[in-house]
Amino acid sequence: MKNGLLALSAFLLASTASYAADPGVSDTEIKIGDVNIMTGPASFIGRAVSVGSKIAAAEINEAGGVNGRKITIITEDDGYVPARSFQALTKLIEVDEIFALNGTSGTANVLAMMPLIEENNLPTVVTTAPNELVYQPVRPSVFTVGASYSDAFYAQLKYIHENTEPENAVYGLIRQDDDFGGAVEAGYDRAVKEFGVKDGLRIRFKKGTANFAAEVAQMRQAGVNVLANGGIIAGAANILSEARKLSMDLQVASVWSEDMPPSVNLSAPAGYDYLVADYVALSGPAIDAFLEKAKKYASDEEVAAINRYTYVTYVGLKALAEAMGQCGQDLTRACTVEKLRELKDFDTQGISAPLSFDNPEQLSGTAVAVYQLNAAEKTFTALTDFADY
Amino acid sequence: MRTGHFKERTAQLVALSDSKVVWSFAGLLLALVLAAPFLIGNYQVTLLVSAMIAIVGAVGLNMLTGTTGLISLGQAGFLAVGAYTNAILMMDYGWPVWLSMPAAGVVSALVSLLVGVPSLRLKGLYLAITTLAFAFIINHVILYAEWLTHGPNGIFVSGAKVFGVDLQRGKALYYMTFGITVVVVFAALNIQRSRVGRAWMAIRDHDIAARVMGVDLLRYKLYAFMVSSFIVGIAGALISLQIRFVNIDVFALILSIEALAIIILGGLGSIAGAILGAIFLSLLPEAIRLFFDAFADTNSSFYTTYVYEIRGITYGIVIIAFLRLKPEGLIGLWRDVRKYWSNWPLAY
Repeated sequence: MKNGLLALSAFLLASTASYAADPGVSDTEIKIGDVNIMTGPASFIGRAVSVGSKIAAAEINEAGGVNGRKITIITEDDGYVPARSFQALTKLIEVDEIFALNGTSGTANVLAMMPLIEENNLPTVVTTAPNELVYQPVRPSVFTVGASYSDAFYAQLKYIHENTEPENAVYGLIRQDDDFGGAVEAGYDRAVKEFGVKDGLRIRFKKGTANFAAEVAQMRQAGVNVLANGGIIAGAANILSEARKLSMDLQVASVWSEDMPPSVNLSAPAGYDYLVADYVALSGPAIDAFLEKAKKYASDEEVAAINRYTYVTYVGLKALAEAMGQCGQDLTRACTVEKLRELKDFDTQGISAPLSFDNPEQLSGTAVAVYQLNAAEKTFTALTDFADY
Repeated sequence: MRTGHFKERTAQLVALSDSKVVWSFAGLLLALVLAAPFLIGNYQVTLLVSAMIAIVGAVGLNMLTGTTGLISLGQAGFLAVGAYTNAILMMDYGWPVWLSMPAAGVVSALVSLLVGVPSLRLKGLYLAITTLAFAFIINHVILYAEWLTHGPNGIFVSGAKVFGVDLQRGKALYYMTFGITVVVVFAALNIQRSRVGRAWMAIRDHDIAARVMGVDLLRYKLYAFMVSSFIVGIAGALISLQIRFVNIDVFALILSIEALAIIILGGLGSIAGAILGAIFLSLLPEAIRLFFDAFADTNSSFYTTYVYEIRGITYGIVIIAFLRLKPEGLIGLWRDVRKYWSNWPLAY
C-alpha cells in the first residue's frame, strides 16, 4: 500500500513536471517572438530584421529544426513607439505564448519591454539596440549582440588618425541630443583625448532635425576637416549635402545606419567616401553566401529589404537556436539562458566576429570592422578586420 | 414609449440621468467591467487598461478643447510631465504612489500655467501652435535636465504598492485605473454642469459675449488649462505605472495628435464622446488584427509580406470613413441609436 502511494506520488510529480514546461514549446514547435518596427518611417529596419529571423528559421527548420522542433517566428509591430512595444510583448507572452524573443526594436523600446522580459525570464537576444542601457545593469535572461556606438566612432577616428589624417587636422562632432548621441560623443571624446588632436567643435541637435545649414556653417568656421557625423539616414545625408555646398574637404566617420542601401542612396550624391564601423560584414564571401541563402528562403521583396539588420538578426537567432539545441529535449527557458551564458566562440560564418556571451555583461559581437564607401559605385570596402577597441 | 421629460424637483434637474433604464444599463456595464479581469486574458486586460488611460487623457483634453474651445497640441507634454513627476517622486524621492500620483496631477496643472498665461490672448490655430511649442520645450527640458529627469536614459518605475498590493500588474492595476477613470468621468460630468462648466461653454461659443455676461476670461481659461492638465497629468502617471519605464520617446508628439483625434472622433465637447473615442481608437488596431486573422488567408505570400501595410491602411480608412459618414462622431451615432430605441416602433 505504502509503495503504491509512493509510486502514485512519483507519477503525479513527474506529470506535474511535464505539464509545468515553459510556454512556447511543444513536441514539434518552438515559438520565437519578434517585436519590431514594421510601420512608419523606420519600417525598413523592422522589415530587414524580420527577414533575418525568417531566413535563420527556414534554414534551421530545413536542417531538422532544434532537436526535431521547428521554429515559428511570430512578429508584432511596435511602430517604434515604446508603449506599443510593451503591449506587443504582452500579446506575444500572453496570447501567442512565445518561448523566447529575438527581435527587439530600438533602445527605448527594449527598455519598455524589460520588466516583462525579466518577470518571465524570457531568453532574449538583443541584436538591434546594443546600447549600454540594455546590458547595464545585467538582466539574467538578456543577451546583447553588437558593439557600442562609442567603439564604432573611436575605431573610425583611430583609422583616420593613423592612416588618412589631413594636415592641421581639426576634429568636429555633430550628434543627437539623446542617449545614442551621448554614446557617439563618448567615442569621439576618447579619440580626441587619446590622439591629442584639436577638438574644433561639438554640436548637439534635436532628433528629427532636417536642416543643418547653420550647424555645418559653424563647422566650416571652426576649420573642421575630420567630422564625426552623428546624424542618421536623412539627417546624416543633409549634413553631408550642406558640407558639399560649402565645398568642405572632409574625412567623415559615420553611424553604422549609414551603410544601409536607403542611407547610401541619400548620402552618396554629396560625394564623400565616408567611413562606417560595423559589427557585421558588409561585403565579401560571407555576405555573398548569405545572399545566396536568402534567395532560397525569402521572396524577392524580402531579399530587396535586406540590410545590416538582417545579418545581425540572423546571427542572433542562430545563437539562440544553438543554445536551445544544447538543452536537448528538456527545453526550458532556464536551460536556454544557462546555455546562452556559456556560449563561446559561436561561429557566425564570417557575418560577424564569433559570438561569446560568457562575460559579465552577456555582451558579444563587440568587435567592429571599418569600411569605406565608394560614393560613385555605392559599395563598401573593408579597411580593417573585426577588432575590439 | 417615453413621452417626454417633466421635471418637478430641483434634484431631478441636477441628476446625471432621470432614466432608470440608463442607470440599469450603467449598473450592468459596471458589473461587466468589474468582472472583466476574471473573464478575459491578461493581454486583453492590458488593452483595457490602455483604453482606460486613454479615456482619462481624452476627458482631460475634452475639457480644454471640447468644452472651452481651446485647441491644444501640447497633451504629449502634459502627459510627460505627469509621468516624469510620478517616476521621479517614486524612484528618486521614495514617495508612495498614493502621494506621487496626485502630485503628478498638481505639477502638471502648475506647469500648465506657464503655457496658459501667454496663451490667453490666442485662439484657434495660434493657440494650437503655442501649445505645440510647449510640448517641444518640455521635451528639451527632459533631455537636458539630466540631474532631475535622468535625461535620455529614462527611469524604470517600480514598487508602487499599497498595503502590500503591487499596483503595477494585472488585476490591481486594472481596478486602480478603473477607479480613477470613474472618478475622473464623474468629476468631469459634474464640473461641466457647474458654474465653471457653463462659463467654459460660453467662452467656447462666443468669448466676447461671455465676457459681456460677466465671465472672467482670464480666470476661466486658466481654470480650463489647470483642470485639464491635472487630469492629463494623472493619465501620464498611469502610463508610467503601466509601462514601468518612462523615457522621452514614450511621449512622442504624435500622442498629441492622437488625443485630438480621439475627441474629434468621439464627438467634440461630449464626455461620453471622449470615452467612446478613446475606446474606439485604443481597440481599433486589435479589432483590425482579429478581423484579418479571421477572414484573410494569413498564410498567403501577399498577406505575410504586406500585413502591416494592410492593417495600417485599413486603420486610416476606417477613421476617414467614419468622419465622412458621421461627422458628429461616435456620440452622434450613439444618439441616433438611442433615439431609434426610444421611439421604437415609431422610429424614423
